Amino acid sequence: MQKEIKELLDKPARTPFRFKAAYYPPKYAGIKAYTVDELIEGIKRVDGLSIFYHIFHPLFSSHVVPEDMHNDFALWIRDELHNLELAQLISDVEGKEPRTVEDVRADLIKILNENKVSGRATKPFYFISCTPVVYDTNKEAKTLGELIDTIATITVRSIAYHFIFKRVMGYTAKNDFSLWIEENYGLKELSNALSSIDPQTYTDEEKLREDLLRKIEEVIFK
Amino acid sequence: MIEKYSEIIGEQELDSIFKIAEKLKGVSVLHVNSTPSGGGVAEILSRLVPLMRELGIQTDWKVIRGDMEFFTVTKSFHNSLQNGYGDLPKGAFEIYNKWQEINGNEIDLDYDVIFIHDPQPAGLIKFKKKGKWIWRCHIDISNPYEPVWRFLKQYIDQYDSIIISSPVFGRDDLSKPQYIVPPSIDPLSIKNRHIPEITVRRILYRYDVDPDRPIITQVSRFDRAKDPLGVIKAYKLVKKHADVQLVYVGSPASDDPEGEIVYKETVAAAGDDKDIKLLMLPPNSDLEINAFQRGATVVMQKSIKEGFGLTVSEALWKEKPVIGGNTGGIPLQVINNVTGYLVNTPEEAAHYTLYLLRNEKVRRELGRNGREHVKKNFLITRELRDYLMIASLALGGSSVGTSGDPISSNPEWVPR
Repeated sequence: MQKEIKELLDKPARTPFRFKAAYYPPKYAGIKAYTVDELIEGIKRVDGLSIFYHIFHPLFSSHVVPEDMHNDFALWIRDELHNLELAQLISDVEGKEPRTVEDVRADLIKILNENKVSGRATKPFYFISCTPVVYDTNKEAKTLGELIDTIATITVRSIAYHFIFKRVMGYTAKNDFSLWIEENYGLKELSNALSSIDPQTYTDEEKLREDLLRKIEEVIFK
Repeated sequence: MIEKYSEIIGEQELDSIFKIAEKLKGVSVLHVNSTPSGGGVAEILSRLVPLMRELGIQTDWKVIRGDMEFFTVTKSFHNSLQNGYGDLPKGAFEIYNKWQEINGNEIDLDYDVIFIHDPQPAGLIKFKKKGKWIWRCHIDISNPYEPVWRFLKQYIDQYDSIIISSPVFGRDDLSKPQYIVPPSIDPLSIKNRHIPEITVRRILYRYDVDPDRPIITQVSRFDRAKDPLGVIKAYKLVKKHADVQLVYVGSPASDDPEGEIVYKETVAAAGDDKDIKLLMLPPNSDLEINAFQRGATVVMQKSIKEGFGLTVSEALWKEKPVIGGNTGGIPLQVINNVTGYLVNTPEEAAHYTLYLLRNEKVRRELGRNGREHVKKNFLITRELRDYLMIASLALGGSSVGTSGDPISSNPEWVPR
């Protein structure tokens, strides 16, 4: 068994996995919301990168989101509209595969429409978009073992780029790790196990890294 | 020098800066502002420019010149943009334009990327010959005095992109990208690096401040926007309950003719209280400022209008809780009950100051949180990286690194 695992981990991939990473310089989207109705309108109007920024960016960015609120919309609803119930619903919007920012956008609008609250915030919600700036980390994995080692040590921005950004922006149907594992090793179970992680509900990037590695461990060493 | 930051931010963060800088090899960059010293902009540039050069980017920094009349005009612009009402000197726009002409003819603007800092040199865009021009606005322009904004907007509209310090300052009437880049502090500078306790005590003694009694410190210009009279009032309210000292540390700036007037008003408000120290230190008093911040029990930044208020991050970096005015960029730094308290009045400031003076455990916890918050968000390495990315984006590349191709050249990457 141990020998089989070792062979699997050391088996060369057809195509090495090249690790890139990204930053997302924010820019003001030119839209503010003081009420739920204005928030809905804003969510309808902004580009997909704005939804990405507000929903997923808290995970690996440095802007301040308390750990019990998973995204910017939820935090604003709690702190400025003072509606904890709606904030919790928005906080837990699903971001798991195969959902993209467009699915998330539709869910947000649905939840807000179904749970409208009155009131006008003193401080508005400022919609922010971003422009991804991608760079090559010069690191690559030629085997599954090297993929595990690199995920364990690389900047979490690289994990976020491959695991979240490309998939939720609709560039790929699955996260890059699952795609590579399937294409090079045919390991569907492992691929699906990684796909089952919902990055939207994380506010600590190291926890996401840990959980990715735990899933790999569970499947390979079971 | 830049390698030293890896001890603070980690190797991977530093590595990303090198990777992003690769895209700008061979690119010339110019920063232009209105003062070589005094205030946050000059301070950031004095650190940022050498770091950009160290990354192999040809970077220069030039300061526009002007006479007292010009700086009185630009100060009135500054106030009217931040306050929403204006009291402009006669012929203000003509005086402003005259000095743009003078500087535009004197300064070599032949660079690939030009960062123009704040309104004072914004009109230099008239002299654009080549390159990408980026207007870096450090102040709050969300509620400006309309005549001044309209006047400046004719120039700002000609820029390729704009940088603001907070989304709160975002404008809905600008068509160019408004990137959000909070300013930053340099953890290795004399003002922010660790200094021994003996140095702190020596400096406090030197200025007749007792290190063994509680100290409230505010470090900022003598400027009405920083509410020095509100600080005095808050101190006097606290003084009714606690044996506390107030140290207000200001410095003159060559582009602020109002400073001396406000200083005199503050001296009058302080009266003959021996526990109030109003200091006007020369611009390079970084060690002293470091010592006063480290020696403080509570740091105050009770601004009623603020661009960003970098002194807040300086204090948080030194693990001091901050009582901050609920304005401008201060709420990005002071998170209620996490790194300090946001206040709107001298009474609120007094209340939370007293609470912190009485609770050492809370002070320590907020202080620890504050340092971590600054480490993640407001260090110069993050701002350096932001400038590199925005310069790269302005030049048309939206991907960087050794793999080369910009994202925008690859259809796969066109955002939906």
